[in-house]
Amino acid sequence: MKINVYGAGLSAWVAAACLAKVGNDVAICEMSLTEQDELMMISTVRDEPNLLQQLELQMNSGRLVRDSQPVLPKANIHWLAFQPEQQNKAEEVMEQLSQADQHGLLVINQCNFAVGATLDLQARLGTKGSVVYIPDNLQEGSAIQGFSQPKRIILGIDEDDALIKARALLRPFSTGLDALQLMSSREAEFTKFAITGMLAIRLGYVNELANLADQLEVDISVVQEGMGADSRIGAHYLSPGCGFGGQNFHAYVSKFSGIFQQQQQQSLLKAVVEANEVQKELLFRKLWQHYNGALADKVVAIWGCSFKPGTASIDNAPSIKIINALIAQGVRVNIHDPEAVPNLKKYYADEGLIRYFKTPMEAVDGADALLLVTEWPLYWSPDYAQLAQVMNERLIIDGRNVFDKQLLKQHGFYYYGVGR
Amino acid sequence: MNSGDIKAWVDLQAHAEEMQSQHLSELFQSEESRFDMFSFAAEHFLLDLSKQRITKQTLAKLTALAEQQELSEWIEKLFTGEQVNVSEGRSALHTALRLPKEDALQVNGQAITKDVHASLEKMESLVRQIQQGQWRGFDGRPIRSIVNIGVGGSNLGPLMACDALEQYTPIESQQLDVHFVSSMDGSELEKLLPMLDPATTLFIVASKTFTTIDTLANANTAREWLLKASGKPIELINQHHFIAATGNIELAQKWGIPERNQLLFWDWVGGRYSLWSVIGLPIALKVGMDNFRAILKGAHAMDVHFREASFDKNLPVLLGLIGVWNINFLNIHAHAILPYDGRLTHFPSYLQQLEMESNGKSVNGKGERLNYRTCPVLWGEVGSNAQHAFYQLLHQGTELVMCDFITAAVRYEGEGDELQQQHQLSLANCLAQSRLLALGAESTTDLSYQHYDGNQPSTTIMLDELTPETFGGLVALYEHKVFVQSVIWEINPFDQWGVEKGKKIALSLSTEFKSEVGEHLDSSTKGLIQHVQANRGQYEN
Repeated sequence: MKINVYGAGLSAWVAAACLAKVGNDVAICEMSLTEQDELMMISTVRDEPNLLQQLELQMNSGRLVRDSQPVLPKANIHWLAFQPEQQNKAEEVMEQLSQADQHGLLVINQCNFAVGATLDLQARLGTKGSVVYIPDNLQEGSAIQGFSQPKRIILGIDEDDALIKARALLRPFSTGLDALQLMSSREAEFTKFAITGMLAIRLGYVNELANLADQLEVDISVVQEGMGADSRIGAHYLSPGCGFGGQNFHAYVSKFSGIFQQQQQQSLLKAVVEANEVQKELLFRKLWQHYNGALADKVVAIWGCSFKPGTASIDNAPSIKIINALIAQGVRVNIHDPEAVPNLKKYYADEGLIRYFKTPMEAVDGADALLLVTEWPLYWSPDYAQLAQVMNERLIIDGRNVFDKQLLKQHGFYYYGVGR
Repeated sequence: MNSGDIKAWVDLQAHAEEMQSQHLSELFQSEESRFDMFSFAAEHFLLDLSKQRITKQTLAKLTALAEQQELSEWIEKLFTGEQVNVSEGRSALHTALRLPKEDALQVNGQAITKDVHASLEKMESLVRQIQQGQWRGFDGRPIRSIVNIGVGGSNLGPLMACDALEQYTPIESQQLDVHFVSSMDGSELEKLLPMLDPATTLFIVASKTFTTIDTLANANTAREWLLKASGKPIELINQHHFIAATGNIELAQKWGIPERNQLLFWDWVGGRYSLWSVIGLPIALKVGMDNFRAILKGAHAMDVHFREASFDKNLPVLLGLIGVWNINFLNIHAHAILPYDGRLTHFPSYLQQLEMESNGKSVNGKGERLNYRTCPVLWGEVGSNAQHAFYQLLHQGTELVMCDFITAAVRYEGEGDELQQQHQLSLANCLAQSRLLALGAESTTDLSYQHYDGNQPSTTIMLDELTPETFGGLVALYEHKVFVQSVIWEINPFDQWGVEKGKKIALSLSTEFKSEVGEHLDSSTKGLIQHVQANRGQYEN
C-alpha cells in the first residue's frame, strides 16, 4: 500500500518506520517550513531505542522516503500523527485531499485533538474517503514494539466500508492481538482520553498516599503490595515517585483536563496535573528539609535525568524542576545520566553550576547529597561502601524507592524514599 | 504670609466678590467655547476646568499669585533636593525615585540615582525569584501568597496600585496572591491567616521607621503563626518568610530580618510619597517589574511636565491653583474625589492621606499661625456608587462642595460589546452628574424639592486609558498639586507632627487597662477604661 504519514513527533516516526518495515511504500511528511534536519539531529528520533536504525534501514530499502511536499496524490492511505495542538495542520491535509482527483481514500487519525475531531475531519474530507480513529498508545522507550505487537487495538469507525481497509492495513500487526474493539470514533476518542486520565489520577493518588505515609511514618511499599493484591485494583501503576513526565502523557492529560474545563466542570484531573507539578519538586523539598533551607554552595549529585529509564528525552521530566530549584539556591549540581546528557547540555547551555560525569561514582565524589531521580537499572545496586566513602555527607534521597533502606542505614546513611 | 499684604491675594479677593454672583450656567451661556478655553491636555491626560467658577481673568490672577509665591523657585528646590521639609531638615525627593538611570542626580554628595536604581535592582531580583517559584518557604515549597503588612503610606499606595492595575498581571505573577494587612487590632490578619498556607506565605514588613506599632504588632502575630505551624527555629522563619521594606536597617535587623531580605529606602522619601520605592514591592509582585517600571516612567513624564510647562498649561499647577481659588476665595471647604472607574476604588482614601496629611496644617514653614484656610475636608468613593449614597448632599444640601471627576476615555477595547457598553454607561453618568452639579435644573413643577441649585464647581480629569503609565502620571499629578498648594499657603507639606502625639498618649494609656486607673486622667478616659475593665472576662466563648 502507498501511505503518507503526517507529523514530526515520535508517533509519526514510529508509524512510518513500522509501516515501511512490513512492505508499505511510506512517505513521511514532516510539514515543517524549515529545512529538514538530519535524522541523527532529531532528538525524538535519536532518543527512542532502535528507532533511528529502523528508519535508516527502511530508507535504504527505498520503502520510506522523507517528503516535504505535504500531500502526495498517489497515496491512498493517509496517516495523521500530529501533536495535540496541530489540529489546523490536519485540517489543511483534509482540505487538500478533498480537492484531489481520487476516491476511496482511507485516513487514519491518530491524533488526540478532541472528542469529535475525527468526525470533523471526515466532514472536511467529504466523499473522497473515510476517516478512522486509532488511538495512539505509544509508550516512549518501547514505542516500536508497542506499535508492531499491540495487545489490543481500538478502532473508531463511523462507516462500515472503512472497516475492511483498516483491517487490511493493521493485519501485519495483529498477530499477538488479544482484542480488536470497534466503536464509533467519538467513543474511541473519549476512551483514549479516559484511559490516560485514569492512569494519571491513579498515579496522583498513589503519590498523595506516599506523601501521607511519609508524615505518618508508614512504609508505602508495604501498603502498595497490599493494595495491588486486591483484584479490584491490581498491581499496575501503583509505584509512587517524584511525578510523571514525558511528552505525550503530559500533553494528553493536560488536554483532557482542558476539555473538562471547557464544559465548565470541576475536574479531578486538573487537581492531579497541578499536584504532579508539585510532586516533581518532592526530592528537592526533602533535601531542603534535611538541610533546613541552607543549601547554598552545597554539592548535590543527581542520578538519572530522562523522564523515565530507556529514553534520552527530558520533556517535562522532574529532573528539570529539581535542577532549576537547586541552581536557584546556589547549589552545585553533579549530573550522571546514561543517555540524557546531550539534551541537558543543550537545555542548560553554559550554566556554570552544573557539571556532567561519565560514571555515577564520579558524580557523587564529595557530594553533600545524592538524588536518584530516574531509575536506570545501572543505579539499582551501587557499591554502598564506596558511596559512603566518597560522599561528603551520607545522604541519599531516593525518588523511585529502589535502594535498600536497611542496608543504607547500616552504612550510616540518611535515607529518604518516597513514602518510606 | 499675611494674606492681606499680598497684592495678588487681595486682587483675587476683589475678583471673587464679582464672581460670587455669577452662576456657572450663566458663564456657560456667555462663553460658548468654555471647554476650549479651560481644558488642557498633556501626557495622556485631559484636565477640564470649564465647570469651575472661573474666567480667563481668574486664571491670570491665580498664576500671578503663584509667581508672587515663587512657585518656580520652589519647584526647582523640590527637584534638586533642597531641604524643603524644614521641620525635619530633609529633602523630599520622591521625584528622584522615578528618574531614569541616565539622569544622574547628586545631593550632598549622595549619588541619588545610582542608589535608587541599585535598590530597584535588588527588588527586581527578589521579584523574579518569587515569580519563578524559587523563593521557598520553610518546607521547601515555593511561596504562593504575599501579605504586605504596613499602614498609611506603606499600605494605601501599594493597595491602590494593585487594585487599579490588576488587569496587567503578567502570566508569571498569576499564581501569586497578594494581600494587605494594616489595622492594628488584628482584624484583617484574623480573617486572612486561616485561608493561607503558612509554608507558602511570605510577609513583607513595610515600615519606613520600623517602629510603627500597628505594623510590628501584626508582624509579631504573623511570625507567631508561622512558628507554631512550622515548629522551626525563628531564624529559619525570618529568613524564608519575611522581607523588610524600610528606611531603618538597624531595627529591621534587630527584629530578625536578615540583610539579604532587606529592601532599603531613604529618609528623603516621605511615607505617603513612597509607593515608587521598595514600598512598591507588592505592586511589582502583582503587576510585574516591567509594569512597575512603566508606572515610574509615567510619573517621571508628569514630573518633567510639571517642571517645564508654563503655569498656564501646567496640569498640576492649574489643579492646585483651582483648589486655592475654591478654598480661599469661594469659601468651599469640602472636596469630593469621584472616580468613575471601579479600578480606582482605593484612590479616594489614598488621596485623603496624600492631601490631608500633607496640607492639613495651620502654621507656616517658620512656625507662624496662618490667617487663611488650607487643606479642606476631602473624601470620596467610586462615583457611580456614591450616586446612591452622598450625591443627594452635593445636589441639594446646604454645603458647597468641589468635586474631582476622574475617568478614562476608553476601556475594554477589544473585549466585547457588553463591557464597552458598561463603560459608556459609566461615562454617561459621570458627565451627567458634573453637568447637573454645574448647571442645576429648574423644577418643572412648583415643588421646591425638585429644584437643583447647581453652581457646584468640578474638575474632570480624563485619562486616555488607565495603564501603568497613566496610573503613575495620575498619582504624580496629585502629588504635585499638593505641593503647589503648600507653596501658595507657605506650609511644609512633608511633615506630619499632628499624628505623633496621639501615638505617645496611646502608649502610656495602654498600661492603664491592667491596673487601677490613674487619678491623673480626665473623667471621660477614666470612665471608658473602667467600663472595659468591668466587661472583661464575661464574654469568653
